[in-house]
Amino acid sequence: MRLRHLFLWDMRFQAKYGFYLLYGLLTVLYIVILFALPQAWRGSAAALLIFSDPAAMGLFFMGAIVLLEKSQRVPCAFAAAPLHAMEYVISKTASLCLISLIVAAILALAAGLPHLPQVLLGTALSGILFTLLGMILATKITSLNQFILFTVPVEIACFVPAVLHLFQLLPTELRNYPANVCMDMIAGRSFTAAGILLLGAVIILLFYLAEKCVSKMWESAGGVKL
Amino acid sequence: MKAICKSFWQMLSFVKRDMMLFAACAAPVLAGIIIRLGVPLLEDKLAKWLELPRILTPFYGLFDLFYAMIAPTMFCFVTAMVMLEEHDDRIDEYLIVTGLGKSGYLASRVFLPAAIAFVVTLVLLPLFHLTELTVLETLFLSLTGTLQGSIIELLIVTLSSNKLEGMAITKMATMMILGAFLPYFMSHPIQYVASILPSFWAAKAIYEQNVLFMLPAVGTAGVWIGCLLMIHATHPHQK
Repeated sequence: MRLRHLFLWDMRFQAKYGFYLLYGLLTVLYIVILFALPQAWRGSAAALLIFSDPAAMGLFFMGAIVLLEKSQRVPCAFAAAPLHAMEYVISKTASLCLISLIVAAILALAAGLPHLPQVLLGTALSGILFTLLGMILATKITSLNQFILFTVPVEIACFVPAVLHLFQLLPTELRNYPANVCMDMIAGRSFTAAGILLLGAVIILLFYLAEKCVSKMWESAGGVKL
Repeated sequence: MKAICKSFWQMLSFVKRDMMLFAACAAPVLAGIIIRLGVPLLEDKLAKWLELPRILTPFYGLFDLFYAMIAPTMFCFVTAMVMLEEHDDRIDEYLIVTGLGKSGYLASRVFLPAAIAFVVTLVLLPLFHLTELTVLETLFLSLTGTLQGSIIELLIVTLSSNKLEGMAITKMATMMILGAFLPYFMSHPIQYVASILPSFWAAKAIYEQNVLFMLPAVGTAGVWIGCLLMIHATHPHQK
């Protein structure tokens, strides 16, 4: 029940601050870009667009979300409420993933990507991965510029191998790297069970770390240790 | 002027604390080295691999255009983020009621960083360009890059009332530079749908080697900045 309320509250929060409008406009723009490209390029371009934007939106926005909540003293209310940090983490991740999935579905259909369920599963897993990474970083920062700087190494570690893998410029031994598994799934390519297991393990670890980081942030809400 | 400089230094010390000042200064140089050395190398590899004489060479002008936007966009983006923080923490209201005033605050956060970005681009572009650029073209690219950076910053701080909206606007505002692709990739007159974007005219001036297109590039940027300053002056969130 608490989780459902939190999830709906997060969706209202995202709607209020223009996430749905923004991604509506971006989806139209991305479709225009996809149709401007030659047919042969559309599949790879759609995979690249889905992986780098809707799937990675949590990494881009989480710093601003957490900092805004801090400036509105929301963590103080959460700290005093009968709410678990894991519920907060799940709610944020699920609400952002919902937007990613809608945008990804539209782009995949527009580009004619094969295996839509696989594309959506890949988008959801990428979205969870990026949102959790964004949340872990966001709990450590004090300003937006700091957050943007902190995300650079994460972006390099996730985007560079995935983009090189998409264009088959990496050795096949690296196909089980979590970001590469996500990219394979979004591009509608085959992937290995070992890759999925490794990705699942990384996501579980990130959930654990995010929960710890959020708990710590709430404990020190308001500048004093609760 | 003294108040503007003091306010600017105060902002710099804030940014320095986050290491973002170092990143903003290092990024244009790093990007320049990558473009100057990496793009011709990539062109060689691609040409051999695809057995074609030229692949990226026709787009070297586009690389120069984007490079001219890097330093201004970085500088203006960093200051926009500081302005959003100051607005959320209501520091801007306190600064505006001092001798600095609203126009001084805007000068220290928008125009002074833009002027520095212009000088930096003017120095870096001749070092890292890929095409032969005349003095006029170097000046033009540095100016349009700076104006583009200022438009992005003004869009962020004018249309958003907090840092979250600011990040959403940032995403949309940076799309403005996509107008530069159209003259290179679309010959159909439909490309003129992007004629409200300064980046479109800047790319047209470089692609068609026609100085006349520099006028609408600077003109449209002026209109954007003028409109955004007017909106900023009457913005309900900026008291």
